[in-house]
Amino acid sequence: MKPSRVILACGILLVFLSSCAASKKSLFVLQSDPGGKTGEIVVTTKGGSQVLARPGEATEVKDTDTPPSPPFRMEEAEIAKAFGVALAAEPAPPIRYVLRFRTGSTELVSESQNLIGRILQSIKARHSTDIRVVGHTDRVGKREGNYRLALDRALQIKDMLTSRGVDPAFIEVESHGEDNPLIPTDNEVPEPRNRRVEVTVK
Amino acid sequence: MKYLSSLIVAVLVAWAPAAAASDDSAGRVKTVNGSASIVRGQASLPAVVNEKILQGDSLRTGPDGSLGVILKDDTVLSLGPNSEVVVDQFLFAPAEGKLSLVTRMLRGTAVYFSGVIAKLSPQSVRFETPNATIGLRGTRMLVKIDEE
Repeated sequence: MKPSRVILACGILLVFLSSCAASKKSLFVLQSDPGGKTGEIVVTTKGGSQVLARPGEATEVKDTDTPPSPPFRMEEAEIAKAFGVALAAEPAPPIRYVLRFRTGSTELVSESQNLIGRILQSIKARHSTDIRVVGHTDRVGKREGNYRLALDRALQIKDMLTSRGVDPAFIEVESHGEDNPLIPTDNEVPEPRNRRVEVTVK
Repeated sequence: MKYLSSLIVAVLVAWAPAAAASDDSAGRVKTVNGSASIVRGQASLPAVVNEKILQGDSLRTGPDGSLGVILKDDTVLSLGPNSEVVVDQFLFAPAEGKLSLVTRMLRGTAVYFSGVIAKLSPQSVRFETPNATIGLRGTRMLVKIDEE
């Protein structure tokens, strides 16, 4: 092979290798949720960290060794251009209903009784085939007993839905016992707001 | 005594008949457009509405594709075209103290709206990209990773 050809080949190889090593630029943009609330994200590279705390704030990451850029504002039009398709594909957020129970029982409090009707309407409106029913208790009583009570509450709600025409195959039942409180409390503290079943219609 | 109660809970969990541990999925597909697939091990399945997603699945879209999923903890995730996100870890069993959600995005565009795991245990949630790791609490965000 002629020397100039060899040099050319090496040159091409080097360019190829360096473009493979060149890191993928990435962009992160904080947004508020459908309810209007905004959380926080922390973007971390080997070079440093950047917090985004306001909706519309963005940071760019050039490569793994460089710290993320200081936050900049991204305009709605720019966001639509870069993320339009992903945004259009975003599923509607699940709707959650909270049904409350009398202490130690699987009986709904009176205020929660007409929620069943609203849940059924939601299921119909969204053509939902994915409904999750999760039972909870407060921290009064033993953990094992509370696991069972929460499960019984969830099963009760599932029955109320299936007896009104919802396909049982669409409903998933779970118990979180006393381990997923709405309002965290100390052990043995009664808390009516934790005695609940959450029905999530997706 | 604590061990005994954990044992009892474990037995109850295993025994509880209608506690749908029947579904060990991480979530389901909710929206699909154009070419979109779920890659599971060696197999590639077309993504269709209601298709289950399992831990380890890679969600991929083609040049004309987009995809939207909702995970069991209500995390909402959607992908634009030419995108790929892997659900590396998904554990959602608060009663057993098991909470973990790690997603890894390789390329493309995505919308990510965190769910219950992020609320219960923000340190158990990570969103990984080739050059950066994202920690979040109760967040909705957009992520774009350039091909080149």
